[in-house]
Amino acid sequence: MNRPLSTLLIACSLLTLTACRRDEVRTYTVAKSPEPATATPASSLPAPGSPPPAPVSPAAGASMANTAVTTASGPGLVWTAPAHWQAGPERPMRKATFFVPGEAGAKAELSVTAFPGDVGGNLANVNRWRQQIGLPALGADQLGGALQHLHVGDFHVDVAELVGPGAPPAKRVLGAIVPHAGATWFFKLDGPDTLVAQEKPAFLAFLKTLRPQS
Amino acid sequence: MRELTREFIKFFVSLKLTVALLALSALLVFFATIDQVHLGIWAVQEKWFRSFIVLQDIQGYPLPIFPGGYFIGGLLLINLVATHLKRFALTWKKAGIQLVHGGLILLLLGELFTGLFQEEYQVSLKEGETSNHAVSWRFNELAVADTTAPDRDIVTVIPESLLAHDEAVQVPALPFRIVPRAYYPNAALAQKEQLPAGQLTVPNLANAGLGPRFAVTPMRVTYDPQKKNWPAAFVDVVSAEGLIGTYLVSTMLIESETFTYAGRQWRIGLRPERSYQPYSLTLLKVTHDVYPGSDIPKNFSSRLRINRPDGSEDREVLIYMNNPLRHEGLTYYQYQMDAANANTVLQVVRNPSWLIPYISCLLMTVGLLLQFGQHLVGFIRKRAARPVATTAAAPAA
Repeated sequence: MNRPLSTLLIACSLLTLTACRRDEVRTYTVAKSPEPATATPASSLPAPGSPPPAPVSPAAGASMANTAVTTASGPGLVWTAPAHWQAGPERPMRKATFFVPGEAGAKAELSVTAFPGDVGGNLANVNRWRQQIGLPALGADQLGGALQHLHVGDFHVDVAELVGPGAPPAKRVLGAIVPHAGATWFFKLDGPDTLVAQEKPAFLAFLKTLRPQS
Repeated sequence: MRELTREFIKFFVSLKLTVALLALSALLVFFATIDQVHLGIWAVQEKWFRSFIVLQDIQGYPLPIFPGGYFIGGLLLINLVATHLKRFALTWKKAGIQLVHGGLILLLLGELFTGLFQEEYQVSLKEGETSNHAVSWRFNELAVADTTAPDRDIVTVIPESLLAHDEAVQVPALPFRIVPRAYYPNAALAQKEQLPAGQLTVPNLANAGLGPRFAVTPMRVTYDPQKKNWPAAFVDVVSAEGLIGTYLVSTMLIESETFTYAGRQWRIGLRPERSYQPYSLTLLKVTHDVYPGSDIPKNFSSRLRINRPDGSEDREVLIYMNNPLRHEGLTYYQYQMDAANANTVLQVVRNPSWLIPYISCLLMTVGLLLQFGQHLVGFIRKRAARPVATTAAAPAA
C-alpha cells in the first residue's frame, strides 16, 4: 500500500469517529396529559367496527390526503345527498361518509371510497361485500344477475343489492361501482335490513346526482 | 514513524488536495441537485451531504457511488487546519489571511455540528391549547408508558431505528421485554372488511388490542417534503411468564394500545418523537393580516403565554415571521398557520452551534478587510512615494 493511500485511510477512520444521531432508550416521568398530545388532536379510540381515526400530522395541511396511501387522487365526483342523511367526519381512505338515521336508533352508513384502477374488478368487489355480510361468493357466470346497470350522465354505474343470511335477515348492503377517470369509486350503504331497504329509492336517487367535479 | 508523520503532513497540506476536494465538492452539489428531483431536499441532505459515502440502491444492493459531504468536508477541514498550522506565523502581514482561513474552518465545523446535533420539532396548537412538548416531523418512537399513577406517567421511549433493526429491548423500567417482530417504514392501515379487493397486505401478527382488526399494506417510503411516512410495526411484549401480547403499533393509530401486567396499567404506541420542556406554551391568539383590498398575506403572528409550573416564569410572547422566540436553547419560528381554524404550527429548532456561522462570517469579514486594507495602504504609500519628476515633464511643443 502506498503512503498517500494509507494516510487517506487513517484520516477516514478518524473521521468516522465523529458521533451520529443517538439511538438510545430513555425513561422519564411526565405529568399526566390527555392522550393524544397536541400533534394529534383528533382524539378518540376507534369504536368496534369503525375505521381508524384520521391521523393528524404535526404540520398543518398534512394528513392522509397527502400521504402515500393509494386512494384515487385524480378528478373527483360530486353529488347531492338527501337532506336526512348526516355527513360524517373525515376518515382515512374515504372520500365521504354519511349516516342514515332510522327508527329506534337504527343507523345505516354510506361510505364513499375511490382507488386507482379497477381494484380487482366487479366480481372481486361484489364478492368482498358478500363475504362481509356472510354470503357465499358468486361465480363469474352469476355476476350479471347480481348487478343492476344504471346510466347517470356519462357514467356507467353497477349497483348490487345484497341481503344477509338469516330470517329475517339482519343486514343489507347496497353497493354502487362507478369507474371514473382511471379510478373506481365505491358507494356502499350498509346497515340493518329494513332501514337499507327503505333507503333504496333515496340511494338510487343519490346515485343519479353524481357528476364530475368541475 | 517519523517518515509516516511527514507523509501524513505532506499529504494534508497539499494544495493539490485542496483543489481536488473543491472539485469533488462542486460535483457533489451538482449530483445532489440532480438527485433532488427524485428524493426531495431532506433525503438529499441525508444521502449526499450528511454521509461519509453516498450509497445508491442498484438492483437491491446499496453500492457506494461517491464520497459524501462529511467525507469531503472533513478532509477539507483537515486540509485547511493542517495548512494553517504548518504555515502559521504570527505577523500582522499574514493576520488577514489567517482570519479568513480561521473563519472558513469555523464555518465547516459549524456545518458539521449542525448536521450532528441540530434537532427539529414542531408544535401545533389551537387557540386556548397548552403544550409542554414538541414533536418531531421525521423521527418516531415507540412509547411504553406505565399509566398506573393518577397524576403522572413513567414513559420509556424506544427509537424507531431500534424497531427497524429488530433489536429486543429490555430496560430496568419495564418488567417485560419489547421484541420487534416486523417493521414497515411506511404502511397504510385499513380495516380488514374495508380493504379494496386486490390490495396486498402483510400477515397480521397482532393478537391483542385493536391490531387484529386491521390490514397492513406496506407502501414505498416517500421523500416528498410535503408528505409523511406512516411507519408501523408488530411488537411482542414478553414477560418472564411468556408472551403478554403481540401488538400492532403505527403512527396512523391515534391512541395507544393498553394492557395490564403485574398489577399496573400500561400503554404502548408508536408516535412522533417528543421533546419535553420544563415550561408550557399556551396559544392565546393567531393573527393573519392581509394587505387591504387583497388576499396577499402581510403578516402571520402567534401570541403565546410561557408558563412554568413553579411560577418562576409567566409572560406573553409574540412570534411572527422573521421574529422567532429564542428560549432556553430552542428557537421557535412561525411555520404554518390556519387562521380560519385558529391553529398555528411553530417550528422548534435546537441548534447548539447556531452562533458559529455568524462568528465565522465576522472573522472572514475582518480578515478580508485587514488583508485588502493592508494592500490598499501599501498601494497608497507606494503611490505617494513615487517621484513627481516624471509626471511633471512638460509635453514637447
